[in-house]
Parts: sequence; C-alpha cells; structure tokens
Amino acid sequence: MATTQTRPPAPKRPADAEPSEPAPTPGLQGAWWKWAVGLLMCYVIYGAFAVGGTVNFAGSGNSGRIVFFHVPVAILSYVCYAVAACYAIGTLRRRDLRADAKSAIAMELGVLFCVLATITGSLFAGVMWNSFWNWDPREISIVIMLLLYASYLVLRGAVSEQPETRARLSAVYVLVALIPATFLIWVVPRLPWLQSLHPPDTLVRPQNTSASYKAVLYPSFLAFTLLFVWLFQLRYRVWQLVQRRN
Amino acid sequence: MGRYADTAGNRAVSGQAQAVAAKPVSWLDEARALLAKDLRAELRTKVALSAVGVFTFSALLLLSLATATLKEVQTVDILRLPEPISRDALTAAMHPAWDAPSKMGMLWILLCFAAFSGLSHSFVHEEETGTVMALRLSMSAGAVYAGKLAFNLLLILAVAVIVTPIYMLITGMPMGAPPVFLLVMFSGCVGLAGAATIVAALAAKAHGTGALYGAIGLPLLVVFLMLLLNAASAVFIIDPAPVRLVRDIGGLLSYGVLLITVSALTFGFVWED
Amino acid sequence: MVNSTEGSERRVQSEAAGAVAVEMAGLAHRFGKRTVFADVNAQVCAGQVLVVTGPNGSGKSTLLRILAGLLPPTEGTVTVRVNGAALDAVTRRQYVGYVAPDLTLYRELTGAENLQFFARLRGLTLSRDALIAALTEVGLRGRGRDLVSAYSSGMRQRLKYAFALLARPPLLLLDEPTANLDVDGMAMVERVLAAQRARPGGGLTILGTNEPREVEWGDTQIRLETGR
Repeated sequence: MATTQTRPPAPKRPADAEPSEPAPTPGLQGAWWKWAVGLLMCYVIYGAFAVGGTVNFAGSGNSGRIVFFHVPVAILSYVCYAVAACYAIGTLRRRDLRADAKSAIAMELGVLFCVLATITGSLFAGVMWNSFWNWDPREISIVIMLLLYASYLVLRGAVSEQPETRARLSAVYVLVALIPATFLIWVVPRLPWLQSLHPPDTLVRPQNTSASYKAVLYPSFLAFTLLFVWLFQLRYRVWQLVQRRN
Repeated sequence: MGRYADTAGNRAVSGQAQAVAAKPVSWLDEARALLAKDLRAELRTKVALSAVGVFTFSALLLLSLATATLKEVQTVDILRLPEPISRDALTAAMHPAWDAPSKMGMLWILLCFAAFSGLSHSFVHEEETGTVMALRLSMSAGAVYAGKLAFNLLLILAVAVIVTPIYMLITGMPMGAPPVFLLVMFSGCVGLAGAATIVAALAAKAHGTGALYGAIGLPLLVVFLMLLLNAASAVFIIDPAPVRLVRDIGGLLSYGVLLITVSALTFGFVWED
Repeated sequence: MVNSTEGSERRVQSEAAGAVAVEMAGLAHRFGKRTVFADVNAQVCAGQVLVVTGPNGSGKSTLLRILAGLLPPTEGTVTVRVNGAALDAVTRRQYVGYVAPDLTLYRELTGAENLQFFARLRGLTLSRDALIAALTEVGLRGRGRDLVSAYSSGMRQRLKYAFALLARPPLLLLDEPTANLDVDGMAMVERVLAAQRARPGGGLTILGTNEPREVEWGDTQIRLETGR
C-alpha cells in the first residue's frame, strides 16, 4: 500500500503587503489636506456665529445657527450607512476581510454622527419649541437609525471569534437593513400618519438661503465630509496595525 | 435556480451520463419538500405552535383585562362643533378615544411579538440539532430560503387568522372595508414573515439566543410597524381615495416584498460557509 | 447501459456510468490564524479507496468537508471530475455520499420519513420496496417506522449510510466510518466499500479515520500533520 506523506507545512508567509498608509483616496494623502480641513472647520465655526442676518427657519432667529452643524451631521449619518453598504457588497463578492473592516468602520462612524445629529437636533427643538423630544418623524427616524447601527454592532459582537463568519453575516445584515434604512430616510418622515414639527425641505427653497448663508453651509458640508474621511482613515490604519501585530 | 440550471461550461450536467437522480429537481420542488417536512415535524412536535400559542393567549388575556375600561372612553372634538353646543350634538359627535387604527396597531404589536417568539424556530432548530449539513448536501440555498419563508408565512397567517377575530371581539375593532382590511392584514403578514425569516437565519448562524434575534430584528420591525399603522389609518376611512390606498397599502406591501427580495439574494451568503 | 437524453428529461439508470476522479493540489486550510493542514496533494481515481489519517485536530474532518464541497479551502484547489467534467463545489454535492459524526438527520421524523425526504430532494421517488431495500441494506429493516430519536447511536449511524447511498453516488466520503457500529455494522461498511469499488463506471471512496483496521481498507493513504 503506497503511502503519500504530506510535506511539512510551508513556512508562514509574511502578511499580505499592506501599504503603510491605508487605501489612498485620490488627492487625499499626506498631511496637507488635514490642515486644510482644520482651517475650513475654523471658518465654518466662525461663519456660523458671524453670518449676517439670522437664519430664518420658521422664525427661529439665532437658534437656527445650529443648522450649520446639525444638517451636515444628520446627512452624514445616513451617508455612512451607504458607504458601509458599498463595502458590504465588496465583502460578499470578494470574501475580503479588509472590505469588511471598512464596512464596520463606516458603521461605527455612523453611530458617532447619528448621536451628534440627535443631540444637535434635540437642542434645536428644545430652544425652539421648548421641549427637547417630540417624537416627530425626523427624530424618530434618527433614533431608529441609531438602533440599526447598534444592532449591527450587537451582531458583530455575537460572532466576534470567527472573523470570516462575522464578515459574511455583518455584510448581509447591512444589505438587508438597507431596506428599512431607505424607508427611514425617505418614507417615514413623510408618512401622513405622523405629523411633523420638523421644518420640511426648508433648505431647498431658494428664498430661505441667502448667499452669505450658503457661504457657510456648503463649506460646512465639505468640512464634515472630509472629517469623516479623516476619521475613517485613522480607524482603518489602526485596524491595519492591529492585523500586522497579530 | 434549479440545481441543474448551472450549465456554464459544466458538461457533467448536460448530455452524457449523470449518475444520480432520476429526474431534475427544480428549486420549487425542493422548497415544497422542505415545507412539507417542516409542517410534518411541526405538527408532530408542536414546538413553534405552542410557543406562539401560549404567548398569544396570555397576551390576549392581559390585553382584554388592561383595556376593559379604555374601550369605554369616548372622546369628542369640541372645537369642531357649531355653537351653541347641545347635548345631542355632543352625543352624536362622540367616538371612541381608542380608535380603530390604534386598535389595529395594538393587534399588530401583538402579532409581531408572537412572530418573534415562534418564527425563529425553523432555523434555530436546524442549527442546534446539526441537520444543516444534511440540508446543505441535498438542497440549494435559494430553495431552503423559499421553504423556510413559506413555513413562516403559513405560521403567521395561521396566527393572524385565529387571533384577529378574537381580538376584534375583545376590543371591538371594526373591520372597515373587508377587501382593504384583508389586504392590509396579508401585506402585514408578508412583511412580518420576510423580516422574521432572514433575521432568524442570521441569528441562528450567529448561534445567538432569542435576545440576539430580538436585537437584530427590532429596527426592521419598528419601520414595518410604522408603515403598518399608516396603512391601518387608511383601512377605516369611509370612501378612501384609491390613490391613498395604493400609496399606503402599496407602501406596506413593498416593504415586505423588498425585504424578501434582498433576503433571497443574500441568503446564500448566510447559509453557506 | 445507454443513457438516453431527451431535452431536459433524463431517465438514467441510477447505477450507470460516472467515472469519477478527485485531485487535490496544494490544499491548505486555516481557521483564523490557526493552520489546520497545509500542502495536501493527491490524485485518486475510480475504483480506489483513499484513507486520510492523522492525529486528532489534524483536519481530517475539515478535509472531507472541503472535498464534499461544503467548505471552500483557504488555499489550493480540489477538482472532482465526473465523466471528465470538473464540478464546482455546489454541484459536487449531488454526486457525494457523506457520512460523518457531525452529520445529523431529523430526530422528530421516522427513519423512513427521513429517507423519503432526502430522496425527494434528489429527485428520486422511493417506492415501498425501494425503501425497504434501502433500510435492509444498512440493517435497519423493520425499524423504518420508528422515530430517529428512539434510535440508538449505532442505528443512527446506519441511517446515515442509507442517506448517503440513496442516489448511489460516485464519490463516497466517510468520516470515522465505523463509529458507534457493532460487528454487523462494520461488516455492512465493508460491503458498502466493496460495492463502491465494484460500481459500474467506477466509484471512489475517501475515508477519514485513525482505526488501524479501517486504514487497512485503503489503497492509498494520506497522513495529515498538525498544522502550525
């Protein structure tokens, strides 16, 4: 009876060559743009308080200035989910743990922005209508979004000892929960059954946005988005270092 | 989706000798076989049925106790009455404070909890007893999803059919327009079964307890409930505009359909290693 | 035996051709950081029996699972050919009969119901006679009507063989073939192996075991070392 022996296991190959910087975003490498973001954010903060004429959200007066922070953060909390969903598709197609890490990072940042959006929104409501929480559709929507992020993290925590399974299950959950997320963003705030305190689509109407107002709001969008990218890169770099250490 | 549908360069499947199976099996046949097996096993062991049954019975009992006085409360919007307000006008304008859409909402909360106490059984049982391997060797993933979804849908429909009349007796919920009512109930069952099935699959694979199942499913359920309450308000309107019905009930149904579609597309990744 | 093909309907004698060959090249598997086995190479042809041995934890079960198409290997390739055409992992499962300790059948169904269910999934309709024959072959005649929960562990093992042999697969994968079996059971396994060898068109068996007696049954052997 012939015996086929296996050869002893091959020597451990060095970890896949990871660049020392995370996957490069075109144009956003090095430190220069982070300084630029810092300056931009300073401008936004200054502009938010200094822009002439009050931001007239339903007669909100000076309290409307929080809009410069609230709206970008709220939109970003939904964008984080979209980013996570894209990476989730990548995880499933390529069975790639790196894409899974990116998806998870996007979801974690989503929690951050969601919490910020809830707090700023609550402050605004408290000042405007004298009650910090009204169960108004947008508030409900942001809270359920927070629940969604939290459920994702709970699922990941339950499978934390098997990275491949965790990657698959998390990715599937992100994609399946994309349906409620989409409904939360577009349908729930407009349900006729729910009445709304939230100023509807005020930003889109041109009469509400003077040039000076736009001059602060649009840079604010840009600043927060770049902040998100920066945080994302930092977290990803941490993950890479942890991987390399193991 | 049949197992023999994969002919991309796979000559063993087409033409020449195929050593197994006397006839090709479509995914529909596979799903039907799985459903039959699940029904037989369930009728024999009654695990899911008893879990759902006990919960539902207790919930209905508690509900009827808790809302005994609430049902009697009547409300009237005085501002809408013409001056001077007469007693007759008041009596005519009174309507229950706990109105019909709210009653339907309560019914659906009950059904959601019933679903989440019983619908995880199908996947969790397979995972716990280790029969997943035998299924994976014999069936395609898509057929497994279809079979389990069908089982859960039947279960929730059965619960809805039994619970709703009892609930209507207890709370005095009217039926509104029967076709609209039935459509809303059916759409709700589809959405609930769709959500429960994929969440059960995920939680089972994560070897999670019922707590994980609830935690994962909650966001899906909350959105579902809001859509349902919105549709419920359309059921009890007299002469609703068709566009309103299409929008509200269509919205509810679309949620379930979309969930099921995405689940069907991604289930393979959950099921297979 | 001639296989007639009419459109998509194939009426095939279930024991007809199916020349099968298995080839493993550079196969390795890791769970996270732990390497289960590495660099496994082998070629097995129809009519042969391959035995996979190795200490506990060396990955015999994992290897068999990979061969069955249940698990994708981390590295390397497995090629299973039936009649010259290579099969992907999912299609491969239809041609595999798999028996393992972690395979379980439905406890709340009877033995016969289990076999009928799995037969239906493979597109076979088991007549009463066929069912009795299947049960007799593994020594469970007369016990088909009992719930599997009432079976002893040896009987469950026999039922697993009945399950694996339902479609007369060209590739038989047996993980710890005689676990829980008595002397009759072991004789049954030997009959199964002989039948697989003599299968028209060629059948192939791969065993994972440490029992010296079972190792004797193989024509070729692979020994897995515990991976780093």
